Amino acid sequence: MKQLKSPIYKNYLTALAFLAPFMVLYLWFWIYPIIKGFLTSLTAGSIGAEKTFVGLDNYRYMLSDDKFWSSFWNTLYFILISTPSIVVVGLVMALLVNMKLKGTTWLRTAFFMPYMLSVSVLGSIWVFILQSRTGLIAETLSSFGVTMEFSFFGSWGMGWLSILIATLWWTAGFNMIMFLAGLQEISDDLYEAADIDGANRWAKFRYITMPSLKGVTALVMMLQTIASFKLFGQTWLITKGGPGTSTTPLVHYIYQIAFRQWDSGYASAVSFVLFLTIALISLIQFKLLMSKK
Amino acid sequence: MYLCGYAIALLMVAPLLWMFISAFKQPGSTVTVLSKLFSPPFTLDSFIKVLKPDGTAMMWRWTLNSVIVGVVQTGITVLFSSWAAFAVSRIAFKGKTIIFVLILIGMMVPVESIVVPLFDMVTDMGWSNSYNALIWPGMMLPLAFLILKQFIDQLPNELLEAARIDGAGAFLIWWKMIWPLSRSSMAAVSIFIFIQSWNNLLWPLLVAQETSMMTLPVGIPTFQSIFATDLAVPMASNVLASVPALLVFLLFQRHIIKGISMTGIK
Repeated sequence: MKQLKSPIYKNYLTALAFLAPFMVLYLWFWIYPIIKGFLTSLTAGSIGAEKTFVGLDNYRYMLSDDKFWSSFWNTLYFILISTPSIVVVGLVMALLVNMKLKGTTWLRTAFFMPYMLSVSVLGSIWVFILQSRTGLIAETLSSFGVTMEFSFFGSWGMGWLSILIATLWWTAGFNMIMFLAGLQEISDDLYEAADIDGANRWAKFRYITMPSLKGVTALVMMLQTIASFKLFGQTWLITKGGPGTSTTPLVHYIYQIAFRQWDSGYASAVSFVLFLTIALISLIQFKLLMSKK
Repeated sequence: MYLCGYAIALLMVAPLLWMFISAFKQPGSTVTVLSKLFSPPFTLDSFIKVLKPDGTAMMWRWTLNSVIVGVVQTGITVLFSSWAAFAVSRIAFKGKTIIFVLILIGMMVPVESIVVPLFDMVTDMGWSNSYNALIWPGMMLPLAFLILKQFIDQLPNELLEAARIDGAGAFLIWWKMIWPLSRSSMAAVSIFIFIQSWNNLLWPLLVAQETSMMTLPVGIPTFQSIFATDLAVPMASNVLASVPALLVFLLFQRHIIKGISMTGIK
């Protein structure tokens, strides 16, 4: 990246002309909302109404708001369960595709296809599969004479399991592609050398494949962490955040405060905390990527 | 290994197959009992019911809205980002570092954390239920910029230098060289942005309250909420909403996969 970067033009006006359309949109719809959001978080009042300055009251309230903490812990819990599962499933899929079995293109297509669905279609399919009494699983069980004793959306644990399954089904293919790119970067020489040394399959995996995938794995974990912080569609569509608030993550909670209770001040405060959290994670990710290069 | 691979593949495809088969069953018929699912009759009645213009499902309109929003967002993002990337990469000007850092900050801002102020802005401008509201906020400008800049950085200087000596202006260089040369990375970025836009739920859910302004991801759950026991008709709407995306995937599989390994952002 360092070489060949000498500029070919030195003209302020030309630069301005090329930058202007981008910067206008960018400042208007990205940078300004961050500032506006922070300022709103210091006020009280609903969307569209007169706002009064209240200082850090919203943030103080947040610290004692059980629903905020529950949505925060819910988000962390989802990171905890989804990150390892997505790494394992994505890696297994990538290894299977990379083995060049017969019909490997078909496998890759099958693994990746769910990612192309809209989250709304995904939500609908999984609700129909998992719902009590009339769902695919419930009916299939009952046709064998077994009654489904539990509900997939009835408790904290089952609710999150349902969201995890749906999310895995949806995004595992995406993560497979990342791992696949990583696998294809490993030089064949390494494996050939190992063959000469008489290494078995497991040894090759353990001492060549796994260390070489360290970078990709870190990236996948970071991305999944960030994606978990943005989790909204699946919970909104599949469990509706319930029962109670047990499957409500942060963005879902922001949605409820802002567009159900119309409290824009408090919603902005929670949003700002979300922004800071993700910015921090991205910064760490950025540092890691830079140190790798 | 074969067994394992194909077992997982079957598991991944099964829900999709179920969706397709169910959609071809009569409205109201049982699709959850497997023996009944695979037995005829198979009809197009559920599709007809979804597409009938009786005001509840506006599939055509939602698809059109999704296409309009997706195409305009993708086009503008790629075009504007390409210009900006060219300027930052190849033109010397004061304040370049500031602009570059400012755009890097954008990479760290999730749209989800600014929807509340964005909604406020859009309401103040009187944009509710309009294409303006659906299109302008939340475009993935920083991502497109960084990927295209990375590409333009790698172009050999001699090439552009030669064109400049021939007297080509900056715009001509962009038009004759940058645009055609970065076509493949632009294709990857475009497909990626289009998928994101096509699947976006949160933002259109907030600004499109009128049925006629909804995009597919918002319209589908709204439409399906009136069906409690009939699964065939909702499944037909799922199929109609998915077929364009699945077709695009089957046609451009290589580009899409390249785009993902290039961007690494979901």
